[in-house]
Amino acid sequence: MKVSLNVNGQSREVDLPPLTRLLDALRGPLGLTGTKEGCGEGECGSCTVLLDGVPVNACLVSIGQCAGRSVTSVEGLPDTAQNGPLARCFIEHGGAQCGICTPGILVSAEALLQRRPDPTDMEIREAIAGNLCRCTGYQRIVDSVREAAKQRRENGAGA
Amino acid sequence: MTIADLVAYDMKRAESLDGVCAILAERHSRGESTVLLAGGTDWVVEQEMRKPQEVGQALPLVVDISCLADLRGISFQRGVLRIGAAATYLEMRRNLDILARAPMIERMASELGAMQIQGRGTLGGNLATASPAGDGVAALAAYDATIIVRSVRGERRIAFGDLQTGYKQSTRAPDEIIVAIEMNLPGEGTPWIWRKVGTRRAQAISKMALAGIAVRSNERVVRFGLGMASVAPVTATLPKTRALVLSKPLPELTAEEIDNAVLTDISPIDDVRSTGTYRKHVAKAIVRGFLRDLGASV
Repeated sequence: MKVSLNVNGQSREVDLPPLTRLLDALRGPLGLTGTKEGCGEGECGSCTVLLDGVPVNACLVSIGQCAGRSVTSVEGLPDTAQNGPLARCFIEHGGAQCGICTPGILVSAEALLQRRPDPTDMEIREAIAGNLCRCTGYQRIVDSVREAAKQRRENGAGA
Repeated sequence: MTIADLVAYDMKRAESLDGVCAILAERHSRGESTVLLAGGTDWVVEQEMRKPQEVGQALPLVVDISCLADLRGISFQRGVLRIGAAATYLEMRRNLDILARAPMIERMASELGAMQIQGRGTLGGNLATASPAGDGVAALAAYDATIIVRSVRGERRIAFGDLQTGYKQSTRAPDEIIVAIEMNLPGEGTPWIWRKVGTRRAQAISKMALAGIAVRSNERVVRFGLGMASVAPVTATLPKTRALVLSKPLPELTAEEIDNAVLTDISPIDDVRSTGTYRKHVAKAIVRGFLRDLGASV
């Protein structure tokens, strides 16, 4: 099945069986390996991407369901270059350790900050509650997102 | 079938509701099965747990209904809330009519799974799966919702109590598609309860969950709706408990008769998430707590 979709702002086309997981389409033919597979059954959130701006688990989305839609993976986030507040705060505050969960958490955090530029800690915790992390104990991730939100507000970005 | 075999399936994208009904009718008449795919939060995961596909076994055709406009949208008119079968839980919790008039639905949708699941999961999917553990379905039971289904024979309205007939069994015909759910909402400020008991306060599949609404007039409850998940082969509607509460003023209710009614209404089992004994204990306690908040001395 030929599927045309927008990936990280670019028009792309893939020719795959329709129930191919979006996760496999991204990591395979689309060449975007930032999205990680964790559990493969919608529990851990490692493969979180945005589908038309909404966080979803790419392991549960079929490529055939993505025709005409926009997918944003960690590579397409506006703020994950090393000098962007979100990525920098994760580095400086210890929000990333082994790193497997990090791409999914950055995507979930971005979805939150786009809606809530000044989130409460409870809102941050809810936004990342579908992203399991076995390293950090979450507090450092919450600290990272809170600080990134503050820096983005100060920079006038991401509001 | 394993998740690696997902690529073996053929999938069509639904173009129209009539088109889906025609596909369902045609395939059903030939004895072929069809999977209507919305968010995939149940069905895709289930593929991983299946036994390997037998050689030569026919695969169902998958029809993607996730973007079908006729199944989307949430509206509120003349006291009736209508939720499209493919509207997501995320859309429900952000809908202004639901926030104002059906706060119990908002709370349920906010607690039933992670954001990633809320963004994909649908009431249509949970009704089709007909699992007694579905949180969303328990909320519909409390509102005595009507489920609207459609086939080439036309549209049919199914009262909630007539939908589920056994564990994962329903009266929806194989060639019928769930279109929408309608609920007569009580007035603003109507007391309600949503209580999910699980290993986490939210997100985990419920050990049990209670949805309830109660319209009061003086000391009596004049409309009482309950729905309980994971305590019976079907979503429990607790008819004995409802009848008891409607039968007398709240101050006359006793703890013993409430407990007895609840125990008559449910038949929980031991499973991987909890035990029947614990579920009975929690069910009694939560129903009593709701009635206590309403003014019963229990």
